[in-house]
Amino acid sequence: MEYTEKIIRQSQYWYNEGLRKAQIKDISGAILSLRRSLKYNHKNIEARNLLGLVYYERGEVAEGLVEWIISKNLGTSDNIAGYFIKEVQKSSEKLEAINDAVKCYNQSLTFCRQQSEDMAILQLKKALEVHPSFLKAYQLLAMIYIHKGQCSKARPLIKEARKLDTTNVQTLRLMHELSVQHEQKMKNKEERGSEVVEYNLGNDTIIQPKYAGVKRVSVKSAFLNLIFGVVAGALIVWFLIVPAVQTVKNDHANKQMIQYGEQINSLKSQISAQTRALDQYRKNEKDVVDNLETAAGTAESYEKLMTANDQWKTGNYSAENLCQVLLGIKKDSLQDTGKTLYDRMASDVFPVAASTLYSSGNESYDVANYETAIRNYNLVVQMYEDYDNGGALLNLGLSYLKSGNKEQATTKFKRLIELYPNTDKAKQAQAGLDVISGGKGNIEDLKRAGETVQIQEPQVDNYESYDAEAGYTDEGSDMTGYDNGNYDNYTEE
Amino acid sequence: MLDFEEELKKFKPSLEVEDIEDAVYREDMSDMTDLIKEIINQTK
Repeated sequence: MEYTEKIIRQSQYWYNEGLRKAQIKDISGAILSLRRSLKYNHKNIEARNLLGLVYYERGEVAEGLVEWIISKNLGTSDNIAGYFIKEVQKSSEKLEAINDAVKCYNQSLTFCRQQSEDMAILQLKKALEVHPSFLKAYQLLAMIYIHKGQCSKARPLIKEARKLDTTNVQTLRLMHELSVQHEQKMKNKEERGSEVVEYNLGNDTIIQPKYAGVKRVSVKSAFLNLIFGVVAGALIVWFLIVPAVQTVKNDHANKQMIQYGEQINSLKSQISAQTRALDQYRKNEKDVVDNLETAAGTAESYEKLMTANDQWKTGNYSAENLCQVLLGIKKDSLQDTGKTLYDRMASDVFPVAASTLYSSGNESYDVANYETAIRNYNLVVQMYEDYDNGGALLNLGLSYLKSGNKEQATTKFKRLIELYPNTDKAKQAQAGLDVISGGKGNIEDLKRAGETVQIQEPQVDNYESYDAEAGYTDEGSDMTGYDNGNYDNYTEE
Repeated sequence: MLDFEEELKKFKPSLEVEDIEDAVYREDMSDMTDLIKEIINQTK
């Protein structure tokens, strides 16, 4: 049958066409040619196998499997369709993922018809993620973006679709639509008078003016701006940051000062407390020492009292010596009994001793033995300060004065004046003070108390001898005119 | 300008793995030879 051969040859011809187109990635054209080939001869195994392959290439795995299954059932042995089927069935996980992608695509079609383009976009993205060679998904997603006006998102999808199938009508249609919209945008921008730059950054589309509102600044302006910026920055640093830093430093320093001050105060209070404690210890020590001294003094006093008592009882004593012993006793350290005994002995011994010592003091004074006089007068004054109505004080002061001890002399004179003012002795004392002050008076003129003043009778001149020598006698003298006591008749010659 | 609805109609659902069997059975296996035979039969 010639027509049979012609049909077969025609089928082969279209198979060859399909093969050529498949080799240049014209998948759509290859499918058309191969379908035509099968129309001529449905038993063209090669054409069917190739058809399944080109379906598989553009992501339609199920369609490809259909052709391979039919080919295998038609086929002869040595059919490559069996190999293709086995290869697909080997990776069951991949097949399952592709099946899920197809389901997502079908779901997205439903969403689009329901005008839920956002949901459709999500489904298509999910489908493309697991099945990146799914042409229909690229086309549908790109179309949705173009419909929403997001041409920049559609562009890369269309590029991918073109890679899979270079002459796909749908892809070319979408490309044409993109270019039309781009031209429209450019026209609008020109009308607006501004130029924008549109680019993708990840999933975001950035549209920004090409040129800023301000014209390009010149180098000079840039330099001036730089200088201004530096100056402004320096001023900000000087007026804001430096004071703040300084304030922080000052605060820190003040806090430290306060801390140190508190430490100093604390140390001062500690020192003060320690000083008080030390003073207390010293006072206590002094009290203890005083108590010891008092105790020692008391013991000594009692010893002396006992000694004096022993001497006094015997009656065989020297009043001067005993009085010195008694004067060495601290009467205040004695108890009542001791004081009573002391008073008894003193009343007995002191008058005699005072008299004796006063006399010997005067004797010593008169011979200028002031040292002894001072010792004796001191004893008298210790026994009886007012002895001889201040005479002892006066003599003691004069002894000090004449021995050169002006200080003690002054003290004694002042005490005398205090005790016996407006007396002769006080006058003498005052005279002594005047001598000491260098005002007036002579130290030699100062007399001690009790100093006897020898009154010399004025020496009556015996003129009888003169009369004898001169031959004057009372007798014969013309005594007229010299009436004894009667000078009435005296006439002036 | 793109008519979204019209273009959408051109998109057909894709074949899922579960539908392969049905698709195989539905496949139209007639070709030119079958057509000529039919014509001859009709002529007869």
